[in-house]
Amino acid sequence: MMQTTTVAMAEVAFEIDNVSKEYPGVKALSNITLTGYRGEVLAICGANGAGKSTLAKIIAGQEHPSAGQIRVEGYHSEIRSPANAEDAGILLMHQEPLIIDTFTVAENVFLKELSGANHVKPWNLVSKKKTTMAEEALAAVGLSNISPSAATSTLTPGLRQMLAMSRTQVNPHNILLLDETTASTTEEHFQDVLALVEKERSEGTSIIFVSHRMQEVFSMSDRIAVLRGGRLIGVRNTRETDHDEILTMMVGESVAKLDASKSGPGEEVAPMVKVRGLASGSAKNIDFDVRPGEIVGLYGLVGSGRSSIARSISGQQDRDAGTVEINGRFVHPKTPRHALAAKIAYASEDRRKEGFIPAFSNGHNITLTTLERYAKFGVLNLKYEARRVDELIAKFQIRGTGTSFTANLSGGNQQKVCLAKWLETEPDLILLDEPTKGIDVGARMSIYQTIRTLADLGKAVVVISSEAEEIMMLCNRTLIIRDGAIVDRMTSNDNTIDDVIRASLGGKEL
Amino acid sequence: MTTLTTMQDPAAAGPERHNPFLVWLKGQYPLFILIVLLIIAAVASDSFFTARNLTNVLLQVSVIGIVTLAQFLIVLTGGIDISVGSVLALAGVLSAGFLGGNNVLLAIVVAICVGLIFGILTGYLVAFRGLEPFIVTLGVMALARGLVYAYTEGVPVRPGAEGFRDVATSTVFGIPILGLIWVALALITAFVVRRTVLGRRIYAVGSNKQAAYASGIPVKSTLMAVYAAAGVMVGLSGFLMAARIGAATPTAGSLFELDAIAAVVIGGAVLSGGRGTVTGAVTGTLILGVISNLLILLNVSAYLQDAFRGALILFAVVFTTVDFGKRITRNKRMS
Repeated sequence: MMQTTTVAMAEVAFEIDNVSKEYPGVKALSNITLTGYRGEVLAICGANGAGKSTLAKIIAGQEHPSAGQIRVEGYHSEIRSPANAEDAGILLMHQEPLIIDTFTVAENVFLKELSGANHVKPWNLVSKKKTTMAEEALAAVGLSNISPSAATSTLTPGLRQMLAMSRTQVNPHNILLLDETTASTTEEHFQDVLALVEKERSEGTSIIFVSHRMQEVFSMSDRIAVLRGGRLIGVRNTRETDHDEILTMMVGESVAKLDASKSGPGEEVAPMVKVRGLASGSAKNIDFDVRPGEIVGLYGLVGSGRSSIARSISGQQDRDAGTVEINGRFVHPKTPRHALAAKIAYASEDRRKEGFIPAFSNGHNITLTTLERYAKFGVLNLKYEARRVDELIAKFQIRGTGTSFTANLSGGNQQKVCLAKWLETEPDLILLDEPTKGIDVGARMSIYQTIRTLADLGKAVVVISSEAEEIMMLCNRTLIIRDGAIVDRMTSNDNTIDDVIRASLGGKEL
Repeated sequence: MTTLTTMQDPAAAGPERHNPFLVWLKGQYPLFILIVLLIIAAVASDSFFTARNLTNVLLQVSVIGIVTLAQFLIVLTGGIDISVGSVLALAGVLSAGFLGGNNVLLAIVVAICVGLIFGILTGYLVAFRGLEPFIVTLGVMALARGLVYAYTEGVPVRPGAEGFRDVATSTVFGIPILGLIWVALALITAFVVRRTVLGRRIYAVGSNKQAAYASGIPVKSTLMAVYAAAGVMVGLSGFLMAARIGAATPTAGSLFELDAIAAVVIGGAVLSGGRGTVTGAVTGTLILGVISNLLILLNVSAYLQDAFRGALILFAVVFTTVDFGKRITRNKRMS
């Protein structure tokens, strides 16, 4: 639907030159080389964890590449910092719009000016002239009905994103980087984004659109670069390819069934956990069962509502509707403490924020959920506690001792500490949110084993993951969550990883 | 046994590559400051190491020492209490004035109850209403001090009971009872924070409230318990203060909140919570006490004493943030 870009004749806007990025234990990007041209929309696609966010961060100067560099045409140095990126004319639109709630709409439009101290006059941040400019900027992104002096806090997420987009009108730039910017945009605003991108392109801006939404990628881009596992799989001209080819590139060709031997408990086993009509946050009308000894996967994109399901079952967030039944008893924990009493454990995906106590040793972290067990009249038996800690450290193969600090461990070992802490509570239902997030391959296997052992002990296990491969390997059944609802149910016997990813993206109907 | 040592060491959370001994040593810095001060005191003044003067030091630091213990508990949870001085004064005047202050036991009960009531009030607002401890205690500070002046009309309250001063004047084996009360409370506090479920919860809530909550720790009641316990100690200090002076003055305890916070910080506790030891808080109290005593012995002006104290606080907080292993790289980056 968009005009052809004659790549050979176009002017180069930026070059990604052999960029690699390594995090401790994980290679997020390997040897990416990619060129962007003026007046072109380059889409960067990939499944969860493919490395597209890392690449976007490197382009924006927020992360340093481990090797290689980013060069912008007409800019003297490589991009090493956000200030570099700004000087070079790269304008970044985040997935979560950078909006200051306590500022007015106009103040948010001109937010960038606050950072350039040399040309800011504090008394006229929003002068009359500026107000007119803000109005024009808002109109250009379809927000003409919003007053520049309105309060920002009342805007819906979609409108906030468009407000951030209005900065394209007031901040000079050569390169526009949209990092999953449309994730919270509604259909009508998407048309505005489309119009804006079209206008930018005709003005010669080079646009980078990072997304996993096929439909948007195809309606917007000129070329599509596909990442998988940190590698650049290929670049296609949008006109010359189709959804299927791109999805295949994202998912990988060899989609074999993994470890199909384990089938889990059969249909005849009565469910231990029954969730009916659950609604919380973005999740709505969720029904599913978990049998004792079964591992059920919840697969979906980030923000699809999968965490809301687990968090509302475990008392971490409020439930709007629905029931949860465990062993024939209806449970409705209002707090994590109630959930513990109801034998529900939830291991958060954010270990630093919710997983462990940074000032605590491994031992203290492990016994945090079961302290009363070591106490008589509130007084702890430290020897008894230390003995149990040593046992658990050995059992879970945690690197370090009971007295070394959890904060200093690797992600994998921190996760083992968290698992040990939760398993000590002897839960019936265990909800694991992204149990291998940020954990290197070696440590993953032992976490998988631990999870399998739990199921073998007859517990009901729910695993949330962004990685289709992991979820298919680990789980007996997988529920596909999209836009807050269960859209499909799959098993590793009947379905491929390809099916799982397509279902979560809504790729089938496209 | 070994699990004990981890909590004692506020600085031990640095990267593992650091020499554990050096890290431990760094954690003991309040003790070194105290030792250095005692050496300076011994050299600078003949009269410092006399039984009479040491008893005097102990009497001077005991009341503020108990207030510091209360402050320490609150700081451990990541909070701060700037109302301790005012609540102390209110507890003092009411215990000396209630029914004419004719019964010592009643006076003690009154003082503790006053502290407890304000502790529960603060605790309720902080724990259950989610308000900032600083603002809440700012309000409580003004409220309590205002009530003190309203009740006394600015005139010290003299208690009627003959034995009112006994606690502050009598000794056991030459050691003032007042000092023994402080030591006993310090030991109890140390036991609670290190050896009980409540203590472990206090550290957990102070270090990462969200993770503590997610782990099933009753965050609100833990905070409530801390503010109530701190209130009891502050109330008791109010009585002890009045007993030591022989009258409850309306200005009693002014600026105690700052001294208590200073002692806690000098003792190595972190204001953001989760780190700190009773040993540190006690050492911090002694450091401040020795400094003011020494400066008095050396006839240094009272104004300069404050300056010394301020400099020491700055030194202590800067010192705790210095990471010896990383200092070189940090300097490099700056240049």
